[in-house]
Amino acid sequence: MSYKEHSDQDLVRLCLKTDERAARELVERFERPVFSLVYRMVRDRELAEDLTQEVFVRTFNNLQRYDRSYKFSSWLFKIAYNLTVDHLRKKQVKTISMHGSPDAVTPERQQATSLSLESDEESPDAMVEARELAGYLEDAIARLRPEYRTAILLRHVEGRPYEEISDIMGVPLGTVKTYIFRARRELRDLLEDRWDDGDEE
Amino acid sequence: MNTNHQERARHLQAEELEALAIPGDHRLPARSSAHAAECDRCRRDVEELQTLHVLLQALTPLQPVAGFTDRVMQRVRLPLPWRVRVLQAIRRHQVATAAAFAGAAAAVGVGLVWIARYPELTPVTVAAFLVQRSTALMWDGVMEVGRFVYGSGIVETAQGVAGQLTLVTAFVAVATVTLIGLASLRIMLSLMEVDPALVSSHWRLGRRVRG
Repeated sequence: MSYKEHSDQDLVRLCLKTDERAARELVERFERPVFSLVYRMVRDRELAEDLTQEVFVRTFNNLQRYDRSYKFSSWLFKIAYNLTVDHLRKKQVKTISMHGSPDAVTPERQQATSLSLESDEESPDAMVEARELAGYLEDAIARLRPEYRTAILLRHVEGRPYEEISDIMGVPLGTVKTYIFRARRELRDLLEDRWDDGDEE
Repeated sequence: MNTNHQERARHLQAEELEALAIPGDHRLPARSSAHAAECDRCRRDVEELQTLHVLLQALTPLQPVAGFTDRVMQRVRLPLPWRVRVLQAIRRHQVATAAAFAGAAAAVGVGLVWIARYPELTPVTVAAFLVQRSTALMWDGVMEVGRFVYGSGIVETAQGVAGQLTLVTAFVAVATVTLIGLASLRIMLSLMEVDPALVSSHWRLGRRVRG
């Protein structure tokens, strides 16, 4: 049986038996969603990679403390969320544009801190339009409060249920609902021009 | 009828809007769908939420640069089973381990020589003596606690009892000591955050490592 077919829980059990292939499979399975979340929170590729790396290191170093009645992905996202929020609080990172950090003084740094967008669209026009729309959306998400941002990304991008988001963020269910409701409203307001353009079309 | 009308006239709540806008296994009351079909405001809210959901879902999943997994794996230290940790410690401190084993072997050897000096001692009498001594020691310990709690009056009585130990009471004492030992081991494992279910697999892994 390939490691890809193992459940997260099985892989954790194997990791506790010092099986490095199982650990590698878990990293490969979750590096994209964790990195996506962290990146959209801090908006700096290098920093996001460092933080994501730290998330996995902490996860595996504390694997014996992992409560198996809890979903592994929730635990991982919880560590990612706490680490990122701690970092944002310590550094008081500003909410920045997708075009790069305001602190980036050189073109190289601007490139490193900007968000690269990809699209599978075939037509160049459609690709440009998709990139543009995705850019507006990323920009709008970046303007949300970190709590709203995390909640809406976990709900709509990762497809996590409300109860799980509540566990990950360590806040009551009602608070999660409020965060998501307000985040949607703010996104709606921030994207209003684009929204109206779309309606007119 | 009037209540039904009022109920249908109520605008959809956030959960209902989401259930209509986002595909999933939500169960929605028939009145919510009926209301959405009739109410422009709610239909618009559902459409907006649908659009936002589709846009957010279409966001490109970001991925770290190539080689990220390798870098993480270089830093990850997976928890080692305690058997392996013990074997590693033995390998690291070979001289100390050898000295400890030599000391233990010498103690056993001295004990055997001492026993050999008394031909009347058989393995059964030695074992009985050891059981009786350990039981008496355990009782002494209990009595010490009793002395502390109740004063010395009770101790003489208990010593009298200890002096009249039978095979049955000795067996009970050994069983008690064993149970306490097992309970202590369980507590120790939990303190070390080792899953007891994994101990047997650790043992097998340890055997493989040794082999």
